[in-house]
Amino acid sequence: MLDLARKSRRTGLSPIVLALPLVLFVLLCLSSATFRSLENLANVNSQIAALMIAALGQGIVAISGGIDLSVGSVMSLTSAILVTADPAWGVPLALAMGVCVGLVNGFGVTLFRVHPLVMTLATMTFVQGVALLLHPVPGGTVPSYLRTLAVSQVAGLPAALFWCAAAILLAWYLLNRSRFGMRTYAVGANPVSAGRNGIAVTRLKVACFVLCSLSAVVAGIFLTARVGAGDATMGNPYSLDTVTAMALGGVQLAGGTGSVLGIVAGVITLGLMSNGMNLLGVSPFLRAAVTGALLLVAIGLQRREAIGA
Amino acid sequence: MISFDKVTKRFGSNLALRDVSFDCDAGTVHAITGENGAGKSTLMNLLAGVFPADGGEIRLRGKPISPERPADARRLGISTIFQELTLLPNLTVAENLFLGREPLRLGTIDRSTMRERARSMIARLGSRIDIDAYCGELSVADQHLVEIAKGVSVDAEIFIFDEPTAALNAPEVEKLGELLASLRAAGKLVFYVSHRLDEIFRFCDRVSVLKDGQHVETRATKATTRDELVSLMVGRVLSQFFPARPARRDAAPVALSVEDLRVDADGPQVSFELRFGEIVGLAGLEGQGQRDIIRALSGLEPGAGGKVTKSGEAGPTPIGTDVVKTALAGIGFVPEDRKTEGLYLPLSIGENITLGMLRRLPIWRMVRGRPHVIADLIRRLNVRSAGARQAVGELSGGNQQKVMIGRWLAAGIDVLLLEEPTRGVDVGAKAEIYGLLREFTDGGGAVLTVSSELLELLGLCDRILVVRRNEIVAELDGAQATEEDVMRYALVGHADA
Repeated sequence: MLDLARKSRRTGLSPIVLALPLVLFVLLCLSSATFRSLENLANVNSQIAALMIAALGQGIVAISGGIDLSVGSVMSLTSAILVTADPAWGVPLALAMGVCVGLVNGFGVTLFRVHPLVMTLATMTFVQGVALLLHPVPGGTVPSYLRTLAVSQVAGLPAALFWCAAAILLAWYLLNRSRFGMRTYAVGANPVSAGRNGIAVTRLKVACFVLCSLSAVVAGIFLTARVGAGDATMGNPYSLDTVTAMALGGVQLAGGTGSVLGIVAGVITLGLMSNGMNLLGVSPFLRAAVTGALLLVAIGLQRREAIGA
Repeated sequence: MISFDKVTKRFGSNLALRDVSFDCDAGTVHAITGENGAGKSTLMNLLAGVFPADGGEIRLRGKPISPERPADARRLGISTIFQELTLLPNLTVAENLFLGREPLRLGTIDRSTMRERARSMIARLGSRIDIDAYCGELSVADQHLVEIAKGVSVDAEIFIFDEPTAALNAPEVEKLGELLASLRAAGKLVFYVSHRLDEIFRFCDRVSVLKDGQHVETRATKATTRDELVSLMVGRVLSQFFPARPARRDAAPVALSVEDLRVDADGPQVSFELRFGEIVGLAGLEGQGQRDIIRALSGLEPGAGGKVTKSGEAGPTPIGTDVVKTALAGIGFVPEDRKTEGLYLPLSIGENITLGMLRRLPIWRMVRGRPHVIADLIRRLNVRSAGARQAVGELSGGNQQKVMIGRWLAAGIDVLLLEEPTRGVDVGAKAEIYGLLREFTDGGGAVLTVSSELLELLGLCDRILVVRRNEIVAELDGAQATEEDVMRYALVGHADA
């Protein structure tokens, strides 16, 4: 526990971040038989997979000191591309689109010094527009191989679990084992000092935005395949949900603080909240109010120290 | 190894370095010393690649060099330990030491190698800092040690230490001395920027003295004395643009009384009085605590203890804990960085001044501009502008400073605290600002100022308090004190060097 407290300077992890999903899980198990069923747990998993993938990307940008609101629109445009493009070209096109959006965000924030909030708000609006132009009415067919990848079962486990695991492993490797990760924490804490230590700050920030957009593309691919149809607004809630999940997981928007474990915990918390309240028959409006209140309480109880400023 | 040849550097109209020429040899520890603003750091920053020179040449082993970025300097074999910390608080000591040059194994950071080498780097400094601690947890002294460890671990030929001992304690300074000796033995050239004379004599082989951006002399430390060094540093000419001082009036009532003020919890206490009608200056070398004292009085960065009272119509008021209360008690503070801490740059001159007058009004009261009051003030302060509607951000430094002072005058305060009253102000406007301050005290106000320009304090102040290591070591009569007197107290703490 002492180690957790010490490391929270960097990880943002606190007992409450880790306890929240566990407590929710136990409470839901006790109060609802439906919740306990394996089917429902698999369902929760597949409900949160897209959020998980996108939130990890959002988390990397946040640790570098930015924020990306275009996540949801990128997911939507991905969906539109998948059902309109030639099946063989859908995925590469979507990935290329992700790289472009990431580059625009990254260069806007670094070279043109636009605040990330404004910069990504602009790309969010633009990309949403393009998605709707491309595919105004929900529908269309998803390439069958994607459908298989998203909904089949492997060794009795849902495919969603593997998507999540892959995303978590990759993010963990990047943040905790690679040079890139250490430098991202450094830049997020204090870009000027990081630069004095010989780190190419611009390049690193651009890389973070590109990674975030790419993770949004992957999240979009999964979500489209799972739903089985294209929808140019399907990503809408994700721009802010990724930020909520991240904040629940102890990532600080000031930069330099956050962890993969925290983001995972935050995503699970958010997922359990909506699934559980759904099962318990709580009105979706009340659900939103409760989620907002929970977020306030959770961040109120977390370590509140801006670092590097 | 390094030759400076007629090196010149300009900042705006200000000549920071003028035709500096001297040579430095490998295998020596070379001290660079001089008063505040003599150009020590500027000269080293040229070498460190912080900014380029405007004229002259720096030669490394006979070849001209001009590093434009810190990375260029590092490639040339020049490692700089900057005065400001560049450590990241959320990285461990080991990670900080290797940031930017992380050892890799199979594409991942090789943590065991990194920690092992970090441990030996820290051990070399004789320190017991935990290499797995986050730098944000370390004391300032330990952070400086880590910074030094990082600087000397670079494979370089030339090392620059910019005021390395400012935050260190005695045993660590001792270790630093050993480190310098080992660098000398390895044939490196070490630049040691400092105004601590005892360290210069203990650690350094040669010493170059700068004054007013010019090179005065380079000597072997063995062939000189403290007295000689001090007299080489001082001796600038006092210009004639200071207003006349009134006759001393010790009987004037006390405006501000400071009792046992501590700027940090275990530091010494400071007590003094500021009387109406006088200008008092806090002098000293940079970073000795003058700035902390005035900031504590302003309530901006409250001190760690002590009592500060301001006298006034309503009787004595305790101040110094809260900026707003301090301002309401009739004390104005002019910060060193007026652009970010003082003025509202996008707002007009009129609005900036009006904001000062609003302080006693309830927040719901409608703001009525008072054009004639503002026009009057602009005329009185001689602010050169296109009118009261011009944005303050478009004015020159001197005119901005006049607006800053004008705002407090309009607010009707009677004590003015100023940090660096004429920083970034051209010569003509300087004289006008001095005149304004004197006019203010002649009208019954009191001024306390901190300045790194010693000549300014000598010309302007009625009394000068010399601060050294957070303590007032001397009180001098402004009319009689000389540069040499102040420097002696500031450098060694007592009159005989």
